[in-house]
Amino acid sequence: MPDKIAFLPPKKSVLDRRDIIVADLSDLLPKGCLVSEPRGLVPFETDAFIAYRNVPLAVALPETTAQVAAILKYCSRYDIPVVPRGAGTSLSGGAIPQSDAVVIGLSKLSRILDVDYANRTATVQAGVTNLNISEAVSADGYFYAPDPSSQLACTIGGNIGMNSGGAHCLKYGVTTNNLLGVKLVLFDGTIIDLGGKALDAPGLDLLGLVCGSEGQLGIVTEATVRLIAKPEGARPVLFGFQSSEEAGSCVAEIIGTGIIPVAIEFMDKPAIEICEAFAHAGYPMDVEALLIVEVEGSEAEMDAMLASIIAIAGRHGVSTIRESQSANEAALIWKGRKSAFGATGRIADYICMDGTVPLSQLSYVLRKTGEIVARHGLRVANVFHAGDGNMHPLILYNINDPEDAARAEEAGNEILKLCVDAGGCLTGEHGVGIEKRDLMLHQFAQVDLDQQMTVRAAFDPHWIMNPSKVFPLEGRPAA
Amino acid sequence: MSDLHEPVSEDAAARIIHTASIVPAPLVIRGGGTRSLVPNDEQHDVLSSARLSGIVSYNPAEMTMTAKSGTPLADILAVLSEKRQMLSFEPSDLRPVLGTTGTPTIGGVFATNASGPRRFIAGAARDNLLGVRFVNGSGEIVKAGGRVMKNVTGLDLAKVLAGSRGSLAFLTEVTFRLLPVPETSATIVISGLDDAQATAAMATALSMSVEVSGAAHLPETVRGHFIDGALPAQPATVLRLEGLSASVAVRSEKLQAAMAAFGLVSTLDPGMTDRLWGEIRDVRPYADQTERPLWRVSVAPTAGHQLVAALRLETGVDAFYDWQGGLVWLRMEADAEAGLLRHFVKAVGGGHATLIRAPAAMLAATPILQPEPDAVAALSARIKAKFDPKGIFRSGQVG
Amino acid sequence: MQTTFTAAQLADPHVAESEAILRKCVHCGFCTATCPTYVTLGNELDSPRGRIYLIKDMLENGRAADEEVVTHIDRCLSCLACTTTCPSGVDYMHLIDHARIHIEETYRRPLKDRLVRAVLAAVLPYPSRFRLAMRAARLGKPLAGALKRIPFLKTFGVMLDLAPPSAAPASDSTRPGKRPAKTEKRGRVALLTGCAQPVLKPGINEATIRLLTRLGIEVEVSAGEGCCGALVHHMGREEQALVSARRNVDVWTRAIDDGGLDAIVITASGCGTTIKDYGHMLRLDPLYAEKAARVSALAKDVTEYLATLDLPRLEPKRVSVAYHSACSMQHGQKITMAPKLLLKAAGFTVRDPAEGHLCCGSAGTYNILQPEISATLKARKVKNIEATKADIIATGNIGCITQIATGTAIPILHTVELLDWAYGGEKPEGISALS
Repeated sequence: MPDKIAFLPPKKSVLDRRDIIVADLSDLLPKGCLVSEPRGLVPFETDAFIAYRNVPLAVALPETTAQVAAILKYCSRYDIPVVPRGAGTSLSGGAIPQSDAVVIGLSKLSRILDVDYANRTATVQAGVTNLNISEAVSADGYFYAPDPSSQLACTIGGNIGMNSGGAHCLKYGVTTNNLLGVKLVLFDGTIIDLGGKALDAPGLDLLGLVCGSEGQLGIVTEATVRLIAKPEGARPVLFGFQSSEEAGSCVAEIIGTGIIPVAIEFMDKPAIEICEAFAHAGYPMDVEALLIVEVEGSEAEMDAMLASIIAIAGRHGVSTIRESQSANEAALIWKGRKSAFGATGRIADYICMDGTVPLSQLSYVLRKTGEIVARHGLRVANVFHAGDGNMHPLILYNINDPEDAARAEEAGNEILKLCVDAGGCLTGEHGVGIEKRDLMLHQFAQVDLDQQMTVRAAFDPHWIMNPSKVFPLEGRPAA
Repeated sequence: MSDLHEPVSEDAAARIIHTASIVPAPLVIRGGGTRSLVPNDEQHDVLSSARLSGIVSYNPAEMTMTAKSGTPLADILAVLSEKRQMLSFEPSDLRPVLGTTGTPTIGGVFATNASGPRRFIAGAARDNLLGVRFVNGSGEIVKAGGRVMKNVTGLDLAKVLAGSRGSLAFLTEVTFRLLPVPETSATIVISGLDDAQATAAMATALSMSVEVSGAAHLPETVRGHFIDGALPAQPATVLRLEGLSASVAVRSEKLQAAMAAFGLVSTLDPGMTDRLWGEIRDVRPYADQTERPLWRVSVAPTAGHQLVAALRLETGVDAFYDWQGGLVWLRMEADAEAGLLRHFVKAVGGGHATLIRAPAAMLAATPILQPEPDAVAALSARIKAKFDPKGIFRSGQVG
Repeated sequence: MQTTFTAAQLADPHVAESEAILRKCVHCGFCTATCPTYVTLGNELDSPRGRIYLIKDMLENGRAADEEVVTHIDRCLSCLACTTTCPSGVDYMHLIDHARIHIEETYRRPLKDRLVRAVLAAVLPYPSRFRLAMRAARLGKPLAGALKRIPFLKTFGVMLDLAPPSAAPASDSTRPGKRPAKTEKRGRVALLTGCAQPVLKPGINEATIRLLTRLGIEVEVSAGEGCCGALVHHMGREEQALVSARRNVDVWTRAIDDGGLDAIVITASGCGTTIKDYGHMLRLDPLYAEKAARVSALAKDVTEYLATLDLPRLEPKRVSVAYHSACSMQHGQKITMAPKLLLKAAGFTVRDPAEGHLCCGSAGTYNILQPEISATLKARKVKNIEATKADIIATGNIGCITQIATGTAIPILHTVELLDWAYGGEKPEGISALS
């Protein structure tokens, strides 16, 4: 049985001064922007990684960058840990507080500041949801490309923190490839601007470092992102197979042939059943594995690309091929896929894995994953971004049963190690958070982590920013 | 007299750097030596990746490659072209412009974040760098990133090393993403537009669902230097389309129809397309065997022509535009005019100007990189100190 | 999510039900995005996920409600947008119902709140009292501004503001009895008269009776029926709500036994949501459980019922209609397409306002109890509706009609009034300018 993952022990000096800190913070914030009542703090104790929880010291909900800066300046002065929070949708526990921390929630920073079509950029506050950006520019024929499944709710600030991906990243890249600039508040309240509408500044690429830094280098309050003109058309097509192996090898051959659709998504039978129950998308129910392959462009282009893909699928024993016949059908197909994690709640609690593996290892890792989970007496549903090898086994368990929960966590650890051993990584798009922190040494040597930690310390010398996450507690530099 | 170190292994490189860090003795990191910005006047020892060469692994079906940092770019491109794959960011070759010799290396490509015309739509070199191995300034061998397309495990150190010009660490190995070579490509030429009109035309083209993968404006002063003068008379605004043949044909028609509202539209001889974009990438018109100051300026796409117009009122400049107008190659007639240029960059909304070429005295007297705000510069300095605590790496000589 | 109820706690069927609901939530956070109060206030405590957590914490610890919890539960509009969004199928409606009952049982509100709620509960569900109150309000309207400046009396000022300039006299549509089919009879339904609607807009049920009887449907207004109980139900006054429910179940059971019913037709979607829930509300009452379930199964929104009648497709008119889907319609009853398809078939051009999933801020008595949030939501809703540049607004709930009408000059009608007009009835009042 694995030990529960430990958070940093709370600082007594902070806990003892709780009332003073709350009073000071309330001076820094407008009315209604500080949560400090014990009852009100409980709902902030976790995010979408519900296996771990800590009630924070206080929750600040600033309305301006200046307020964020004021809080950070105060917290760094008194050595109070800070945990940034977007929409609290992290699957790796990135936004789970620690009991001596002030949570800085960005949910009130929810305005779109500038849309510039000629330069194809949007500048938004960090609490704007991912989908809000696309919706704001949709009528004018644009979209923001990275589309994590939680895009309805997750914020751009959180996306930057985790360098979020999504189904359509196969073609358009992940957050870091679509992020042009940020306004960043450093640990001591200093406000800096990185990047902007001009590409590729010649100095060090701090923007690239900040993206995916899990709230440890600073707090992003504004972001400038790249907009893309919507394709002429897009068509998701369902390919059903009688085995996961066939589906996996089909994916590898599609990519290997040099065809890059916008998205290739994989669902196994349990996942198909879960998603169909919520979305009624018309997924085939008589198959063991399903690929959603989306092509886009002009009719001619989509037809040509599909013809090649259908030919490949034929060589891998495809048993069902179904093209979406309308925009509504296409929307339902994606609605089902993007709701997969939440919809799993209909049948069980789950832990969602996020390992990425080389495509050639996809079938092997799928099979081994099934074996690992079965050995622990649990069930698994697989639904993931196959085109870039980013796997999401959902380990189903009962969170009210401590033994079941421990088995699920153990199985999860084994699966992630399997991904690393197969030449992949622990996390493709969800981030390390608390969940994968203690597995970091399976992927990196201590010297590798030391280098990351020293860079981290260049931004946050006293480790007050989301300090329990990402790096194993042992082997950290002395404070 | 400086020594030249050419380690044949990562371990050997680590030993050299470790020794230098103890002294401490400065080291200048060099790849193929093709992009020297600052002369090695102080005669520091040089650490070269030249003998750390070779493709470590290449799996075409995964569209990734791992190569030692000193591997010549040409070797990599040759291997890729056999499998009809490519580096989507089109690394440029500035030897003709800089008047340098040497062999461009893959490590140098990433260390300078050298990106060509497709950059504004397909990402820069840094966007395609998946993982690195490097030796830091303490002589420790470190790896970062990985070998798969998606990876957010820990801090993305590969990003900060890309474009760091040998100031942080000595790259020993790079893993990068590949893309299939498009089945076909085509170029549409709109003739006769002034800079402002061209900017509007390019913005319109990029707003359409036709996936333009190159958008450059070549004013009349430079037009004749491209593809042996084969572009039609008058300033040429050029747009590239790539993909499946059937699709390119359809998109090309659509784009031509829309561009007709701006000027005279023609299409380029298909055989000329790759050459044209290669010459835009390599800044062909300014490979003029002179040392006249050459700037690479990055601003918002709609601001490029405003910048040039403002400068023209003050000094003699020649310019052409890539990246939909956001990348301006500026050749000054005489002085580098760094102050003036940076004043106007700021005035048109911000960006950065990098001095690529100038006579030695001018190079020495001019801040070649855009000065950063104090807080950013301080942060960058702290990061540099974390990679290279003794400050032994002297930047500026990578390629 | 994890729960820690004891076996003793779970012996209470209400707690057991809430536990089962809580267990389905995986805390994914999707619900926050479509919650009107979260979108407005940006505080997770004012989101479904935050409230679920507050409720869980309160129930698990068997604790009396306190001010912090009540503040955030009270801000919930019960629009149920979260239940449309939730992929896990969390039954938020019954969870918050349970929480409201728990609050009513364990929390003593400040005097002013108690007064306001007592007045609302004593007046709104009773048409005769409500009509009297409306007349009084008309006289009192000039006082609204003054009242709103006195904190203690502010809510009463808001009530006066909301009162329409005139209250209609008692309508013939409320008289109990049968209205025979005017063409060959092909069905028989009971029509809910309800409480507030016939006082505020009797034309809605009048249009419904005209349309249905013309279509060959016998319409009965059952003697003794009354308020569905929704208003008090949403205040957590469960006993009062169940009294209403049992009374209506009895009345319609008699109607079913006496000649059968194809449907119980409801023209206020807020009421429809509650009547469809009678089966659940009375599930623990052995005398009523079965009868209530039967009534709930027969309950149909008028558009839901009309959709079964195959109305003929009419020539397009040059009239554009912004269709505002009431929360109780789209989220409570999950009826989304029927009203729009009926309007389109009747020749109207139907436009969907942006952010259609967001509540207009009416939400029963919410616009009285939470005027600030309600006003913000109304402004946002009106802005989105006006952006469609439609000639008319159509919706299926009296609450929304009253709310939106105070924010825009575009005429707003019940969907059935437009359908009655299109299929041979009188042109509704207020749209005379349109062809």
